[in-house]
Amino acid sequence: MWDRIVQEAPDFFTYYNAIFVLQAMGRTLGLTVIGCVTGFIFGFAIAAIRSTRARALLPLRLLVTLYVEIFRRIPFLVILFIVMFGIQAVSRGISLFAIALISICMVSTAFMSEIIRAGMESVPKMQREAAEAMNFGFMRTLLLIILPQAWKVILPPGFAFMVMFIKDTALVSQMGVVELAFTGKMFVGRGFSPFLVYGTVLAGYFVMSYPLSRLGAYLENRLATSRSRESIQRVWTGPGPVQSEPVGEQG
Amino acid sequence: MNYTFQFGVVFAQLPYLLGGALLTLEVAFLSFWLGAVIGLFGALGKMYGGRAIRWLINAYVVFFTNTPALVQIFFLFYALPDVGVLLTPMTAVVIGMTLNSGAYLTDILRAGILSVRREEIETAQVLGMSGPQMVRFVILPHIAKTIYAPLSNFFIWLVLGSSMAAIFGVEELTGRAINISTQNLRTIETFAVIAVIYIALTFIASIALALVGRWAFRVRARIF
Repeated sequence: MWDRIVQEAPDFFTYYNAIFVLQAMGRTLGLTVIGCVTGFIFGFAIAAIRSTRARALLPLRLLVTLYVEIFRRIPFLVILFIVMFGIQAVSRGISLFAIALISICMVSTAFMSEIIRAGMESVPKMQREAAEAMNFGFMRTLLLIILPQAWKVILPPGFAFMVMFIKDTALVSQMGVVELAFTGKMFVGRGFSPFLVYGTVLAGYFVMSYPLSRLGAYLENRLATSRSRESIQRVWTGPGPVQSEPVGEQG
Repeated sequence: MNYTFQFGVVFAQLPYLLGGALLTLEVAFLSFWLGAVIGLFGALGKMYGGRAIRWLINAYVVFFTNTPALVQIFFLFYALPDVGVLLTPMTAVVIGMTLNSGAYLTDILRAGILSVRREEIETAQVLGMSGPQMVRFVILPHIAKTIYAPLSNFFIWLVLGSSMAAIFGVEELTGRAINISTQNLRTIETFAVIAVIYIALTFIASIALALVGRWAFRVRARIF
């Protein structure tokens, strides 16, 4: 095995292969970043809707909750299949990359909204009521009271989620989007040693996600409040790092 | 667009699909419990081991939590035959997911063990508890209460994650859906049906885990 790797290495680590892999990495990152940013925007809207209490908005709240629960409980691969065939039944002109992006945005919206909701709920209810008593409107309460306190709780799991999503986009390779995991398939198809190829692919993923997860861990230590931990533990958004927390302190 | 939905052909295959759901649960169970064993030793090694052991476990956790499980299994499945290790798809998936979940569970279990404070143990000693009593009445309930929610979430994540076994040809729920849809060409309907099965599966798992948690450890887990 070693002599095969050594023998193939000069053919494998060429300039054009490097560019190909880097482009694929860029596509993986692009999918992740666009997905997470879109997910953040829509997830924020969903969390805001779910935090309302007006009776008139009840159907909307139910609809949005249904969306979140459904998309958090279907495997990403299955969502990919449904979106791909659903879109192709409507039109043929959409690229695979766009289809992948759409399904990624749909999933990340659901997960991000849960993260943001947990952050919003970490702000004590009394403050919301106090704002109401002082005749603050919905937007003013959200922007001036809730968000300034909630962002500390939202950011660390947000980064943890992004790391998870870098890894989840690997499934997109199965429908033929040329991202990092797909390059692995392609190079193996060209006859390179799988050790070499998948080793490189794993290293590529590691290079992308390790700095992000370090950043997330740093933010978690830096921003952690006593409130943030209990509220995050109550929702699940995939396996993120769990902070050790003495249970006794909760009283 | 003029697409007529035909769910009948899919419903005819429902028993076959539900058999796949059993296999899905089996993969999730196996990788959860095997991963928990790795995680337990990992957590203990990370806390009480020497420098080399700690470094090794750290490297393992960092590597496996920062690379996709899919590519890890690709590596096991396609690269290991080069050194003479031939794995069936099922074993490759279970080994890959076990190694992956072992890394996550190391962190989760460590957080649980760390949450037991020295004062509690000292108090138990003052009360004259014996070693086994301390484990049974102080340490285990405390650890269970801390990590129960993350653990049950992780199990559900594993149920969903096991769908990637289909890519390697394991005939679990997603795999069987692919089989059916290549026969009846009703892809949207087939995958919509298995999506509902996945939702039902994880809902049942969530509710069951919440009930068990409430009954055994008095954890207030929430389902929604």
